[in-house]
Amino acid sequence: MTDTALALALLVLAMAVVAGALAARRARLWRAGRAARVDWLDGLAALPKRYLVDVHHVVGRDPYAARMHALAAGGLLAGSALALAGLVPLLGNARLYWWIVALAFAAALAGGFMVGRRRLPVKPARLSGGRFQRLPLLLAAYAAGGFLVALDASLGGALRPFAFVGLALAAVGGIGLARQLDRGPMRHAFAGAAHLVAHPRPDRFEGKPATALAPLDLDAPRLGVATPADFTFNRLIGFDACIQCGRCETACPAFAAGQPLNPKRLIQDLAAAIQPNATNAAYAGSPYPNARPVAGIGGPDKPLVGTGAMIHPDTLWSCTTCRACVEECPMMIEHVDAIVDLRRFQTLELGALPVKAAPPLMELRYADEPGGRPLGARTDFAAGLTLPLMAAKGEADVLLWLGEGAYELRYGRTLRALITLLQKAGVDFAVLGAEERDCGDLARRLGDEATFQRLARDNIATLARYRFSRILTADPHALHALRNEYRAFGGAYEVVHHSAFLDELVAAGRLPVGALGGARVTYHDPCYLGRYNGEVDAPRRLLDRLGLERLEMERSGRRSMCCGGGGGAPVSDIEGERRIPDIRMGQASATGAAIVAVACPQCSAMLEGVTGARPDVADIAELVLMAVEAAPAAARAETLA
Amino acid sequence: MIANAEALLKPLTIKGLTIRNRVMSTSHAPGYGKDGKPQERYQLYHMEKAKGGIGLTMFGGSSSVAIDSPAAPWNQISVADDSVIPYFQQFAERVHAHGAKVMIQLTHMGRRTKWDTEHWLPTLSASIRREPTSRTIPRAMDKNDIRRVVKAFAEAARRCKEGGLDGCEISAAHGHLVDQFWSPSVNQRTDEYGGSLENRMRFGIEVLEAMREATGGDYVIGMRMSGDEMIADGLSHEDCVAIASEYARRGLVDFLNVMGGQARDEMAHAVSLPNMSFPVAPFLYLPSAIKREVDVPIFHAQRVTDLATGARAVAEGHVDMIAMTRAHIADPHLVKKLMEGRDDDIRQCVGAGYCIDRIYVGGDALCLQNAATGREATMPHIIPKAEVARKVVVVGAGPAGLEAARVSAERGHSVVLFEKEPVVGGQINIAAKATWREALSGIPRWLHSQVAKKGVDLRLGREATEADVRAEKPDVVIVATGGMPDPGHEKGREHAVSTWDILTGKVEPTGSVLLYDEIGGHNAASTAEFLAKKGCLVELVTHDLQIAQEVGTTNKPVHLRELYKLGVVMTPNTELTEIYPEGNRLIAVLRNTMTDAEEERVIDRVVVEHGTRPVDGLFEALRGASVNDGETDLDALVAGRPQRWTGQPGFALYRVGDAWTGRNIHAALYDSLRLCKDL
Repeated sequence: MTDTALALALLVLAMAVVAGALAARRARLWRAGRAARVDWLDGLAALPKRYLVDVHHVVGRDPYAARMHALAAGGLLAGSALALAGLVPLLGNARLYWWIVALAFAAALAGGFMVGRRRLPVKPARLSGGRFQRLPLLLAAYAAGGFLVALDASLGGALRPFAFVGLALAAVGGIGLARQLDRGPMRHAFAGAAHLVAHPRPDRFEGKPATALAPLDLDAPRLGVATPADFTFNRLIGFDACIQCGRCETACPAFAAGQPLNPKRLIQDLAAAIQPNATNAAYAGSPYPNARPVAGIGGPDKPLVGTGAMIHPDTLWSCTTCRACVEECPMMIEHVDAIVDLRRFQTLELGALPVKAAPPLMELRYADEPGGRPLGARTDFAAGLTLPLMAAKGEADVLLWLGEGAYELRYGRTLRALITLLQKAGVDFAVLGAEERDCGDLARRLGDEATFQRLARDNIATLARYRFSRILTADPHALHALRNEYRAFGGAYEVVHHSAFLDELVAAGRLPVGALGGARVTYHDPCYLGRYNGEVDAPRRLLDRLGLERLEMERSGRRSMCCGGGGGAPVSDIEGERRIPDIRMGQASATGAAIVAVACPQCSAMLEGVTGARPDVADIAELVLMAVEAAPAAARAETLA
Repeated sequence: MIANAEALLKPLTIKGLTIRNRVMSTSHAPGYGKDGKPQERYQLYHMEKAKGGIGLTMFGGSSSVAIDSPAAPWNQISVADDSVIPYFQQFAERVHAHGAKVMIQLTHMGRRTKWDTEHWLPTLSASIRREPTSRTIPRAMDKNDIRRVVKAFAEAARRCKEGGLDGCEISAAHGHLVDQFWSPSVNQRTDEYGGSLENRMRFGIEVLEAMREATGGDYVIGMRMSGDEMIADGLSHEDCVAIASEYARRGLVDFLNVMGGQARDEMAHAVSLPNMSFPVAPFLYLPSAIKREVDVPIFHAQRVTDLATGARAVAEGHVDMIAMTRAHIADPHLVKKLMEGRDDDIRQCVGAGYCIDRIYVGGDALCLQNAATGREATMPHIIPKAEVARKVVVVGAGPAGLEAARVSAERGHSVVLFEKEPVVGGQINIAAKATWREALSGIPRWLHSQVAKKGVDLRLGREATEADVRAEKPDVVIVATGGMPDPGHEKGREHAVSTWDILTGKVEPTGSVLLYDEIGGHNAASTAEFLAKKGCLVELVTHDLQIAQEVGTTNKPVHLRELYKLGVVMTPNTELTEIYPEGNRLIAVLRNTMTDAEEERVIDRVVVEHGTRPVDGLFEALRGASVNDGETDLDALVAGRPQRWTGQPGFALYRVGDAWTGRNIHAALYDSLRLCKDL
């Protein structure tokens, strides 16, 4: 073993000590957070799978980044660990062993170069600068140094002068990297591992839907999150896990629309705020678009939201809760949970909502309906159709949940199409009519958990009076609330979206469909159906049955882009530069489709609001009805032929 | 999307009867009755509205309950015996099949009818007083008459119920028997049916009580009434409110259908059926005021031509149901189009009054701008696609050409439409320049929007030549080049200008103008008004018995009112025989057609209206090369069969509208619809 190799091993040891100390210091800050129930043993046991499968599933969407990370992280860890293991005489004295060490550092060096190539000469906007911009240099120095030392050792000291240079390089790079552990890019490594172990939503790694918001204890002394210390500790770990890759920023619809939200910056502000006397000065990524001025200061017990704090309220209310950021985050951070926690405090403790968001919540409190309209008017759209009422029937195979869209003229057309289809297929269904209250989605996303819980309990009590096997709804927001969020309050239902239900009916031959003549259609995935509930196949399968030419937008399926209608964003109405639905409609137009197929009342309303020349907007139910109505004509044509 | 649309699309429940939305059509008399019965044509006309999404369609305006209120002579409905019941049943089934509700209006016309027809029975009223419109002098009813008519109303209501109709209303508006009793302008009785308002209300109360008794009380019965008779000796607004309140308080009516004015003379009749010279919903304040006093639903019709106005009326709480009767004649599918977000496709009533004017001269109601209405058995409101797509060239984008292009495009054909002017509309653009006739411009506006939407290749500012047409390699060429003013036959006619010259501004006369009319339509009357408003001293001379002789009863009084107000000298029964210049002025020689006496006028201008002559240059140029020598198979046209040349190699040539012969807008549209629907 050469003396430089010995020194390298000791350097690694020193790095480990520095890193450990910094990590411990950082971890102490997490203890400011509230307690959370975490199954540490399960988490630890699941770590390799969570890392190698779940994390890499996300990372792998960018193959360059995946290779870069495998080389840099793998090489760095392997080289360092092997160099340290060289202290074991049996290994340290084997020249062949140092070949392997050199190989590992060579891999790290290659990774370091890839990190550099990505950022130089011009750094893409989504990547952060500052300490992150120095990362490739540190990585390259450490890896090159380690490589030279190990190469020399493998050759029995034949390159001794190079080894000294290498050692110096490795020392500069290595200590530099280690010092980044608490605040620099390297923090993601240990915070990310800790986050995977102690993740607040362990179910998401088990293939279960883990998108329901956690119920808030309404008797807690403080409702929602005002300060970093109000978050549970494992959420604080999550914020620290952020590697500032900017994938969330690229996916965020509010960011694209020039509204003052950048999920990356938000997470960084939250992470920065957990230190005493914190400032946001170190952040070197893209700002909040059209950022409203804030003081940019905080601390574990200081308010997070406000002009005198870290985050401007407009940032909070710009979010559509579409979960695109969560879907894209390789570090499995739960941005939306954080936003809703912050909103809960603003709404329930301060009553500090955007002016236009307050009236719908008030109406929900008094009228069980955000427009303040009588509940009995929910079925007005169906006047003239026979609409069986649960109150009259007592039981039905399918309970049709109408949702808020029923009050809206455009969407009434969709529901009429759906009802006509159910009748044609002979489905035994009924609606609650005046007994249906708002599902509470809007209240919950706007942070009014109290109203949500009351509506949920009232709806559950109503549903308990009737017998049905499934709930059918055309509203993915209602679907999510009823299927995933009512469970915590004792309401467990099988809930099916109309796209899946109609797909079943068509597949079973209960709705004979004719072909729609190859019209070009593109399907816009509703966030609450695709990302929140993983249902991206049934609507496409159904469209394919209608004889349509289906084109995909650049962003589709689970990675689809929001229409701008979720999370109360239409009522919060935070000013930006563009409208989200205009952007989304632009993507739809770009496919050359004549029709945008939608499957959600919010999407329908937002996209119908786009002006100018554009594809038509049609709900899947409307298209199916058109195909069903085309069926006899097609049959006639066959007879004639 | 229009504002407040959701207010229209809310159901309304009256006594357990749920009407699916707030849009209705009031009872009217389209002249479709046959032998006093509503037969197929009548039923299909209302079924089309039901298909089109209407909530409630009421038919049978002034349907008669008794034989001394004759119905058959005016192709109306007689409910005076049980033979009508099977027709009601069939009618109700047809409307109900499409989700709408259907009701009828029952009435006794009293003095507002004729004695010299059908059964030659004397006409009746509360007292002996002539009605100016019908020129009828009734006898005063005695107690037997009252008992008999009350019973007749009750029997008629029973027939409606047995016929499966969802309800009925009595007419106590437009000067029918019930309001003849109410109105002090007619009722001069001294018994318990006359004198105080309480007494004058008695007859109507007895009628409704008897109807309730005959139908068991759970049947929907309403009443149409005026909210203000607007005449000095008639019912004031306060009287009408008092009547409405009393009838509602007694539980006699389940709804009130409130209108403004009455109809006993020519002008009142025109005001009660407001034409395009009126603002929209001119009398909405009357039902609104009555709604504040009663707790039964309020209906209202009177020039509510667009859904936005209707929606506002309902959303603001003026009425519970908005009646868009003429609006449905123009477009029976307007509710469906609203619900489907296609409100831009609604063909909006322009208020021409063509539908109603036809029925008062014994014709059938037809829409000036929709040739399918009232012809549902033969003319489609939704044009089906053709089995073979063809290339159609249409020349001329006036009403005939636009309709030909629209229908052909709806058929799925590829259509090129040439128009020499930079705008579409043809002669309508000229007619619409004449003061209150402006609303006619809505006709080409809608047609233009439809042809644009259906992808017609519209070439404006391009006078098509034979070569242009043939370059398109058409299967069908439709010449709709319209007409040009007929110069007339007077000696010295070269000294006259046409009404077109005046309305287009080509000639701007000053001083004294003699306008001579041999058409009797709107043309001369509206040009006279136009000239007088520009400061000319105008004499309107016509060969006819009266000014605007061919103009119907809801429009003519408006013309006459304006001409009187402007001091236009009206000289009927007079022919223009010669024009010659004298100095820098003109001499017009006039002959009285009754006495042959001649007189002369010294004036600055002579304007003549003789209608149009076809513009047929292009048609004649193309005739030789066409497969049909430009012939239209009239038997096929009338029978609704494709023209026999359809599908032959080469092109078939047809002409429509004034290019065929100068007539009117409806004729132009009907030419095109019935030709092109089978192409």
